[in-house]
Amino acid sequence: MNDPVEVVILGGGTAGWMAAAALSALLPPSRCTIRLVESDEIGIVGVGEATLPHMKNFNDLVGIDEAEMMRRTKATFKLGIEFRDWGFKGSSYVHPFGIHGRAETSLGFHQKWVRALHAGHEFDLEALSFAIAASRANRFDFPSSGVSNIASTYSYAYHFDASLYAAFLREFVERRGVRRIEGKVQSVARHQTSGAVESLTLESGAVIAGDFFIDCSGFRSLLLGDALDVAWDDWSKWLPCDRAWAVPSANVGEITPYTRSTALEAGWQWRIPLQHRTGNGYVFSTGFTSEEQAREALLNNLEGDALAEPRLLRFKAGRRVRSWEKNVLALGLSSGFLEPLESTSIYLVQIALMQLLPLFPDRNMDPALAGEFNRRMDLEYERIRDFLILHYHLTSRDDSELWRYCKAMEVPESLTAKMQLFRHRGHIERYRDGLFTPPSWLSVFVGQGMVPEHHHPSLNNVPLDRLVEELEALQEEIGDRVQEMPKHDAVIARYSAEAPTGAGDSFGFGMIS
Amino acid sequence: MTETVRRVLIVGRDAQAWLIALALQRAFGASGLIVEVVELPSLVAASDVLAALPSLQSFHKIIDLDEGAVVTAARAVPMAGQRFSDWGVAPFIQAYDSAAAPGAALQFAQLWVKAHQKGMPVPFEEFSFGAMAARLSRVPSESDDPAGLGATFGYNLEASAYALLLKAFAVRRGVNLLAGTLSDIKVEDGRIAAVTLSSGQQVAADLFIDASGSEGTLIRQLPGDGFESWSDLLPCDRLLSASTSRLENLPAFSEIRANKAGWTGLYPLQDRTAILAVFKSDFASPQDVLASLSSVTPGPIQGDPVLSELKPGVRNAPWIGNCVSVGDAAAVLDPLDALHLHMAHVCVSNLINFWPVSPAMGSEAKEYNRNVRLHAANLRDFESAHYKLNKREGEPFWDAARDRAVSPGLEQKLLMFRKRGLNVLFDEETFDEHSWTSMFLGHGLMPESYDPRVDLLAEQDHIETIQARLRQIGALVPTLPTVDSFVSATSIPVKAPATAS
Repeated sequence: MNDPVEVVILGGGTAGWMAAAALSALLPPSRCTIRLVESDEIGIVGVGEATLPHMKNFNDLVGIDEAEMMRRTKATFKLGIEFRDWGFKGSSYVHPFGIHGRAETSLGFHQKWVRALHAGHEFDLEALSFAIAASRANRFDFPSSGVSNIASTYSYAYHFDASLYAAFLREFVERRGVRRIEGKVQSVARHQTSGAVESLTLESGAVIAGDFFIDCSGFRSLLLGDALDVAWDDWSKWLPCDRAWAVPSANVGEITPYTRSTALEAGWQWRIPLQHRTGNGYVFSTGFTSEEQAREALLNNLEGDALAEPRLLRFKAGRRVRSWEKNVLALGLSSGFLEPLESTSIYLVQIALMQLLPLFPDRNMDPALAGEFNRRMDLEYERIRDFLILHYHLTSRDDSELWRYCKAMEVPESLTAKMQLFRHRGHIERYRDGLFTPPSWLSVFVGQGMVPEHHHPSLNNVPLDRLVEELEALQEEIGDRVQEMPKHDAVIARYSAEAPTGAGDSFGFGMIS
Repeated sequence: MTETVRRVLIVGRDAQAWLIALALQRAFGASGLIVEVVELPSLVAASDVLAALPSLQSFHKIIDLDEGAVVTAARAVPMAGQRFSDWGVAPFIQAYDSAAAPGAALQFAQLWVKAHQKGMPVPFEEFSFGAMAARLSRVPSESDDPAGLGATFGYNLEASAYALLLKAFAVRRGVNLLAGTLSDIKVEDGRIAAVTLSSGQQVAADLFIDASGSEGTLIRQLPGDGFESWSDLLPCDRLLSASTSRLENLPAFSEIRANKAGWTGLYPLQDRTAILAVFKSDFASPQDVLASLSSVTPGPIQGDPVLSELKPGVRNAPWIGNCVSVGDAAAVLDPLDALHLHMAHVCVSNLINFWPVSPAMGSEAKEYNRNVRLHAANLRDFESAHYKLNKREGEPFWDAARDRAVSPGLEQKLLMFRKRGLNVLFDEETFDEHSWTSMFLGHGLMPESYDPRVDLLAEQDHIETIQARLRQIGALVPTLPTVDSFVSATSIPVKAPATAS
């Protein structure tokens, strides 16, 4: 058997500590030793305060107790994302972590809805999704088991304080024996012929040698970008936002079990409810507004009092063309950036780790493993990218320059085809790899104003009155069952009952580390 | 609401024409679709067999065709797998086990690779429920599988009888068989306007289906038709169909035996054994092939063997204008992996999925073409892997097959399997991880390493998991019905005619 691979993780944000947690829990100790280099001087910003349901799987896999995690990170539950003013001003829809209808069918439940609509029976699609109905009612409960149960048709995620999550993970991982090294990188030594990274020299003079480097250095991309110079693929022509102001505010009213994203003049504003405060931010494009105007707009839009001064973050949409090059694998922001519109930042870290596990290299760093990893990540990134672009492009807003630009811009052919098929006949492509499944595409298409011109012809086999009865019954059942659910606030209070205090509040931005 | 397609005309022959008719009748008949068929002269020889993947069972469920009727009429024999022999390695059975559910961290094969590296001598095949059932002439099914080992079976069918069964069933279901033969096809503006029958009757339709087989009777009339040959990836170009006597105890597998210029398949049927010799004409004459058959068949050749050409490939655009080609008219594969009917099923499900909703049909055609071509290419890769991985060294046909480049997709599949025992799967795949794995391992492609997570399992647990699977299979297989008992239990008893012998 080969000697264990000496892994050096550079950076201790969410990505770095997730990597340490996953590798230490899910790889045998005989395969690798893990050290993590980070500096207390470099602030953690924390990737994503809003997560996707995959987060629960990650926690379960590495052995994190949900209730403890929620207490420590002041977390709330999340059933989806509400999008306001996206397709047109005054609109609101929820992208749920669940399906529409009772079960997923190959054609899609929504075909029934379209057929009814074409016959003049206008059902509210949202009332036919359990997860959405629960979100709208500010209610939460854990999903039931049993496929025939309407309360089994969803999953859930969390809103949490990402800085607290990183700190929580650090403690969890250090308990498992992962060594943390304090220090800032001064220089990176590379092998003369292969170009692989050999060691990091810290400002203290300490030299950290390793076989495999995981670059979690954030936007700086110290290893993949700076040292190995892997090219950047710029996606800003499709996703023009390049700045964000972030500010926490006091909670007002009930805690919603969903994230809110409101389209503004030059971008969009997030609202992420935590137990103790609300995270807010305005993601905008300097091509269409100024930093000062954006700051003003954000502060004017807060529901509760601001709890700190807004903080500015700079970024660019795109990614390094390869996430794994030689003996460096970049995770999270050092590999690419997609705005947190669909809470994909932590997911991208997680899926990269899950793809890494079966491909984890020996000390000889077989490039074939990197090639397969990069192939899988290309699919993930590109499919998420298309889904994000859809939000900007599918709009009838023409009240500001940004929206006029996005409406008119040319989008990737892969996305044009998807939109065309949905508009024409309500067809939604299903793919093997990649995050978003048909219910996600459906909610955005319909939520942003696209209604299929035709339904699938097989729907005509069913008598209309029977179809309408079925939809009415479903809507009623969902309404009734949702009323039986406890309020989200009540569930959190109960779940976090023994909340120990003292964990320092921190200022979380919500997406970037 | 007015339907775009109120009348569909299928021009075709044999099983493929009738299965599409039945599927369309089933899918849209209730909303008034009129399904008509113009039958072309059959190309099926008396000796022909249809070897079908387990997907045939689901297709029969969809069209509501009773399995008993199939087994009875088509003298069908359940097929738990195919046994590959003389491929330059020890014979192996490729069965139809299902892979571990997605989300399950590790495929069983990963545990096997580690055990194998540590010297465990038991071949992978013995951990396949389907393969072990096949070895003992037994039929695996989900209902007999409390441990969830997961294997199923396809069928070998009498080709002419199966087509007749489908035809009779279709006519009973309201499919309209037009009298007369095809005499003319009228094309206008890149679409089929009508066809004329020998009676002089002109038949128009909103949609035309070409189920004529590889000749593409209808679709080749349309501008834009073209064919992408796969002869560089699937080297055989001749097909010889023959027949011999019944095997004494019906086996649950077809035998696929390689020879110097291709391979010969033996397909058990209830009353005879069908033979299919597939070869490359540069390396053997039909006479050579015929002469060599006697060494592999259980009895003498019966009747006249029939020779035909095999041209694997796919139409550039299986759907043009208002004309949709299905089955062999869309894509021709090698008979090696029993994909003939399956490819037709893939076309049918895509056609139903993208059934036109407006007269233009452009976006439906585009999606159909993309999906059908992708699917066919993935199936082609599965078949071409057999040729690529052969270990018959020193024979020109096989040496060339090994040296030949494969598609980039298959290249990646082979690479990752060799490196880690990992399966790369793309969109529109028929075969799952287990199928690819058993084929690769069967041909002797041994992974150099395995998923590191296997080492998380303590050695004792690892051994125990492996032994437990052997025990489960060993206990379950003898409880399964034999092929003979399956056939007699499934057949619909025919009322004994008043014998006057």
